[in-house]
Amino acid sequence: MASQAPGQVETREEAALIARIATRDRAAFAALFGIVAPKVKGYLMRLGATGAAAEELTQDVMLTVWRKAEQFDPAKAGALTWIFVIARNRRIDALRRESSMTTYGLEAPEDMPDDSVDAPDAGLDGAEREARVRAAMQELSAEQQEVVRRSFFEEEPHAAIAAALALPLGTVKSRLRLAMAKLKAKLGDLK
Amino acid sequence: MTPAPVHHPSTETLAAYAAGTLRAGFDFVIAAHVRGCAQCRGEVARLEGVGGALLAEADAAAMSEEALMQALARIETAAPPAAPARTIEQIIAAAKKRWVAPGVWTARIDTPHAKDDRVYLLGVAPGVQTAKHTHSGAEFTVVLQGALNDGGVVYRAGDFCERDPDDTHHPKVEGAETCVCLFATQGRLVPSGVIGRIAFALADV
Repeated sequence: MASQAPGQVETREEAALIARIATRDRAAFAALFGIVAPKVKGYLMRLGATGAAAEELTQDVMLTVWRKAEQFDPAKAGALTWIFVIARNRRIDALRRESSMTTYGLEAPEDMPDDSVDAPDAGLDGAEREARVRAAMQELSAEQQEVVRRSFFEEEPHAAIAAALALPLGTVKSRLRLAMAKLKAKLGDLK
Repeated sequence: MTPAPVHHPSTETLAAYAAGTLRAGFDFVIAAHVRGCAQCRGEVARLEGVGGALLAEADAAAMSEEALMQALARIETAAPPAAPARTIEQIIAAAKKRWVAPGVWTARIDTPHAKDDRVYLLGVAPGVQTAKHTHSGAEFTVVLQGALNDGGVVYRAGDFCERDPDDTHHPKVEGAETCVCLFATQGRLVPSGVIGRIAFALADV
């Protein structure tokens, strides 16, 4: 395994914990909680939630992890990617519950076609793919990393990034497009 | 089988979708496209991987001391999850058609979008003249049925089109089939002529 950047967590270990949680292993749940709950809370606060709201939502995310653990497929997604998707969706649901209108699921319905076998990186498991994404991120320029990070951590990201960095909207979009193209080029050759 | 879509959302729009930071309603239009587009499903999965990488390196915020105890209590006692949310197809099918002119109907889509935004279906029969217009904000469109010709570019079922506030355009129905599109628009459309103003007021778009 490649060495990790400081502050990063090892996703293969988490994948193993999630597999144990699927067998209703409470110790594994406690261990995963200790590793990822503070990350999830930090992510939610970065997106503007207050400490109390982020904590409550994180509890919600961890409960969802407990309930859905058996649906986690380490061949398809890395543990952190899977948890990210849950956190993203729980956050959207929480924001929209307040609007008292119908919410809709952004998670893939069960009848969606399974593309994973055709993916260029189908030979890798989720943890390997996740490691490759991180490595590719590290190779982006500081400016590119900044727009990618902000595009995930700001509400209505493009306008907000433009305002925060005092850049024209077009520049933000093209910088983001370049960063994404670079990421794609780095990840596209996975076999 | 329907041919694969040709016109896709930009990478930066898909990134905002994968991040969960698009405006409500706009993400619904993207979801309607992604559902039928293998290429974009792959792209979204990759972008979710970027989200996972960012979560992994996110600054931790300490949970309260009793958080783990609460979590362990919750997994024992929490009520089962609520009924699953409605699917995109169910929401679209539930929209009520309202005829606004001969050959033209609209149907509001029930998404939790902002009050000043509009999320709706528009059905236009072949040969019906539509109004040239600009937008006060961004507009996302997915063609659900038939085809649309916008400035010489043809958009068919599954295709996606994004317009910026400054674009003026005059889309026309292409072919012999009624064209049904799903729209999300930020703010109101701005028609360029009198007929358009009347039509848009009637249609409430």
